[in-house]
Amino acid sequence: MNDSRRAGLKPLRSLLPVLVILALIAAVPLFSPSNRFLSLAISAGINVIALYGLSVLFGQTGILSMGHAALVGIGAYAAAILARDFGVGFWLALPAAAIASAVFAMIVGIPSLRVGGHHFVIMTFAFGQLLAIVLTNGGDYTGAATGLDVTDHVTLFGADMTDLTRYYLMVVAFVTVAAVASWAIIHSSYGRTLRAIRENEKLAASLGINVGRHKIGAFVVSGVFAGISGVLLAYFLGHISPSQFSSFPSIYLALMVMIGGARLIEGPLAGGILVAFLPEVLNLDPVQSRIVYGVCLIAVIMLLPDGLIGGIVRALRGLFSGKPKSERDAAEARQ
Amino acid sequence: MSPILAISGLSKQFGGVTALAGVDLTIEEGEILGVVGPNGSGKTTLFNVVTGVHKPSGGTVLFRRRDITGLAPHAISRTGIGYTFQQAMAFAGLGVLENVQIASEHARATGGANPWPTPQALLDFVGLSALAGEKAGVLPFGSLRLLGLALALATRPSLLLLDEPAAGLNDRETTALVGLVRQLPGHGITVCVIDHDMKLMQMLCRRLAVLDFGSKIADGPTEAVLADPKVLDVYLGGEL
Ligand SMILES: Nc1ncnc2c1ncn2[C@@H]1O[C@H](COP(=O)(O)OP(=O)(O)OP(=O)(O)O)[C@@H](O)[C@H]1O
Ligand SMILES: [Mg+2]
Repeated sequence: MNDSRRAGLKPLRSLLPVLVILALIAAVPLFSPSNRFLSLAISAGINVIALYGLSVLFGQTGILSMGHAALVGIGAYAAAILARDFGVGFWLALPAAAIASAVFAMIVGIPSLRVGGHHFVIMTFAFGQLLAIVLTNGGDYTGAATGLDVTDHVTLFGADMTDLTRYYLMVVAFVTVAAVASWAIIHSSYGRTLRAIRENEKLAASLGINVGRHKIGAFVVSGVFAGISGVLLAYFLGHISPSQFSSFPSIYLALMVMIGGARLIEGPLAGGILVAFLPEVLNLDPVQSRIVYGVCLIAVIMLLPDGLIGGIVRALRGLFSGKPKSERDAAEARQ
Repeated sequence: MSPILAISGLSKQFGGVTALAGVDLTIEEGEILGVVGPNGSGKTTLFNVVTGVHKPSGGTVLFRRRDITGLAPHAISRTGIGYTFQQAMAFAGLGVLENVQIASEHARATGGANPWPTPQALLDFVGLSALAGEKAGVLPFGSLRLLGLALALATRPSLLLLDEPAAGLNDRETTALVGLVRQLPGHGITVCVIDHDMKLMQMLCRRLAVLDFGSKIADGPTEAVLADPKVLDVYLGGEL
């Protein structure tokens, strides 16, 4: 009895560090940061929301999407078009855009995930390119290459949230919800099902798991996160255009989740923040930062298969456990 | 009583290779049936086609009179056919108990009066409860096979197909396995087992079916089949 209760509390303990970090992040405005800092942080937070969805897809299910920015784009354009043509505001746009991105994920996922294999990476990449082309040639409806303006303000309980500090706090709240949602998925039987698929599809199917349907489902779930991230982005920037959602931003998202580590709850947060602030901290121009990211990605793939956070956790465990390193490595190599 | 599984005219071609050439086979409710045959005779293919891992080129499979020919593997598993693979496998990166939990969570509803054993009880049954907290990937080979058995049992099968469950096990582990498998019919689980070890098969099965080049060449009581000249011929006195 006592044991089972302790087992029930264990997952909660894994959520705690993230909640503490997010609480600290929410306190940043107390130190009157610059507007530039707040803007960067808001962009990072909006990415982190999509990354939490990507971590369900990649970290739990083992599927990599190379067109994830396109799903963010669906959410952003849905928000912009809903505001322009139907007078639908931010709060209603959230569920609508989440559904729109989820539906697109299903449309892309059904043909490419049912068959299995490596089609999915290519299909999602193609989807990203295709969406950019469609948006660019969409005439007045999508605003063509110039894109669309979103001039509506976000209001919450009568307060205008457009002010940078307020928007920042709102994004931190959304990031918290995304983190908790992804944590809840990881620790549910649904999360276990996804991990089973990641580990061994053939065995999973032999145990009655409908592998194809669950892979599509995981992509749809990640689409919900992406759609919400898109709405926040559209309302934050006030202007969206096709190039923001093409293949390069998609590769960046994949990179962020890999650098941070997709399997642990801290990973998306770390990846999103690191990639947003690294060029700023190191004072890199865009070309230099791309080179640095490329090098980081190769280093992470070769040295830290669980991402930066996974590597740190492993190093800490190594420090505090008595097992000699070689024995641990041997055990891990067999996995 | 009608058989639990009725296979008729089952065939499977891989390109030009005929792995199964029209096999008829029935499995009776509550028995432990053995399937033997030389390497490459089509034993694993027979299981693969029954479980939906491969689509058959022809023939039908009836499970309790229901046609399950060509259904997807997950659908067949959920009708109540459990199986283990010739290559022992588990979800290597996940915990041993978590492995069995996953299988239990996807088990079909059996609606029986007796509740099915919990994941922990299944680990007890196969003797792995001491390793419940370990990652499946670090298990020694024999334990991995037993975990595979626990996974298949967790799906609440009424028919269990075991493909060389004792391959790679030491004598002690093999004896333990025989003890476990023998208990299964008492729990309402019919068993069909493939193995090359004739001593093991004699211990487990009262009936044997023999495959050779994708065809069934013998089927009957174990002692009679093992004395059949056709069967002795196939093995050329080598393995018997
Ligand atoms: N996926 C496949 N693709 C092509 N050929 C296959 C495939 N699976 C099996 N075969 C062929 O079908 C024939 C039967 O193989 P199968 O694995 O069923 O034999 P088996 O009786 O299980 O042998 P063993 O005792 O060695 O396990 C062999 O000739 C094999 O090469
Ligand atoms: Mg075989």
